[in-house]
Amino acid sequence: MGKIREFDFEYFIGPAHPGVTGNMSYHIWAEGDTILKIEPNLGYLHRGFEKLVEQRHWIKNFPLILRICVPEPDVNEVLLAMAVEELNEIDVPERAQYIRIIVLELARLAAYLFYFGGVAGAIGLYTIPQWTIGDRDYILDLFEELTGGRVYHIYQTIGGVRRDTPEGFEERVLKVLDYLEERLKDYDKLFFEHPLFLKRTKGIGIVDKDTALRFSVTGPNLRAAGVNYDVRKQEPYLIYDRFDFDVPDIYRDGDVYSRAMQRRLEFAESIRIIRQAIDKMPGGAVNIKIRNPFEYRVRAGSTYVKLESSKGEYGFYVVSDGGVLPYRLHVRGPSFSHGLQLVRHIAEGTNIADISMILFSLDVCPPDAER
Amino acid sequence: MTVEETIKKDIETTFGELVRVEIERKHRVRAYTPRNMVLPMLAYLKQRGFHQFTLLTCVDWIKDGKFELVYNLYSLNYNVHVLISTKINRDKATMPTAINVYEMAFDYEREIHEMFGVEFEGHPRLDEFLLEDWKGIPPMRKDFDTRKYVEEKYGMKDLTKELFTRKEQPYRGPGSNG
Repeated sequence: MGKIREFDFEYFIGPAHPGVTGNMSYHIWAEGDTILKIEPNLGYLHRGFEKLVEQRHWIKNFPLILRICVPEPDVNEVLLAMAVEELNEIDVPERAQYIRIIVLELARLAAYLFYFGGVAGAIGLYTIPQWTIGDRDYILDLFEELTGGRVYHIYQTIGGVRRDTPEGFEERVLKVLDYLEERLKDYDKLFFEHPLFLKRTKGIGIVDKDTALRFSVTGPNLRAAGVNYDVRKQEPYLIYDRFDFDVPDIYRDGDVYSRAMQRRLEFAESIRIIRQAIDKMPGGAVNIKIRNPFEYRVRAGSTYVKLESSKGEYGFYVVSDGGVLPYRLHVRGPSFSHGLQLVRHIAEGTNIADISMILFSLDVCPPDAER
Repeated sequence: MTVEETIKKDIETTFGELVRVEIERKHRVRAYTPRNMVLPMLAYLKQRGFHQFTLLTCVDWIKDGKFELVYNLYSLNYNVHVLISTKINRDKATMPTAINVYEMAFDYEREIHEMFGVEFEGHPRLDEFLLEDWKGIPPMRKDFDTRKYVEEKYGMKDLTKELFTRKEQPYRGPGSNG
């Protein structure tokens, strides 16, 4: 870290800024255009979820816990269901597992579309956010049809999902997937091969392999640094071991370009998974019957469950004392490692014009860091 | 011998009877560790290749008068999470800081200091993290009453008492509809 002198500039990025999804600010000290020191300043989005969870029944926590994260809320619901099912040793019906996979992967597509728009917006290519957010709406339409809600779905429950898919839903999902695949070619021309994008992002904001491992980076950010680690492959949760998909391993530089291109490739893999899930989906029940949800008890014990969200490894540490309320729930959001210590380390010495692009390319989402 | 069993055996041979190790399930090993053995344990596991500091969390066991600190480490080579549990006294809770071993512990310790009031000895910056101008007891402790806090701070009344208690009305004879 360079020494901060009296006449160096002090800036505040945020709390509302295109570089960050949600309200979070960074305090920057800069010498001319070069950043000397950066300090994350949290607290704008702290809503005390972990405390609220302890005062609600297990089943009443589903409508609450998903509100942690706006771009991808489904991971929270699924994790809570997974934790309860693991502690109580519940077998989830086959069809519910497949529906969960479809929901999770559709949510990943929606989150990645959000991400492409964000990175492009941070560079100054303002057409792309209009397109991607518009295309994201087609996925939200599907969610609305399936669950009743566009952003927050409240669709998962203990032992399955709340209701079966409506008639003809699968065909409409396939139609949207076809559209998105065609659309990816347009995105390639408009964005991923755009000279401005290449010029602004190559070699900027590098998180190399050693740095990534040192700062507990996970998810696409880690894969873009050349470490082929995906929770779906390493520790297959739900039924991910039955699907045939690849973890792209082409871009390994760890710069903004690699991180964006890594997600571009994973977008196509997610489409592959959804197609297989629809193809193989069996019939049958979609949930188990719970006799009295307000008297539902979870066996005493603790567990750490995790899954691969669009931002990285998302985990819940759940403790139950055998009662009707959770005893403790800790949310391990990927942004806690990506947005704080890592940014302090890599942002030093970068240009102030690149900082919002770097922050967005790391997919820093303050809600899951602050809870 | 599975990977989990290898790790269990290695920890047991290194630390002896001080540490109780259990295999919870596939990919999860838990080590119940006394307070003074946590830092040697973290250093040992880091040297064994557990590069990822997944989380540090705290559970308030108010009936036992203890805090349980859980360090969660992950290794890519073994594909195993090791959860190190340690119990410390609840009043005047102190714990040596882990930032010299894992620098990722920096913000986790700040958060736990703020939310539970655990003092991390040797931490350079235990200042405000998520809360602002907090004066009362740390809010994530079990004895912090959120409803009472809201009533005192914002002057909000508990409406449920008025809504769900029926006012007694005099009996006016059969068929009079109350």
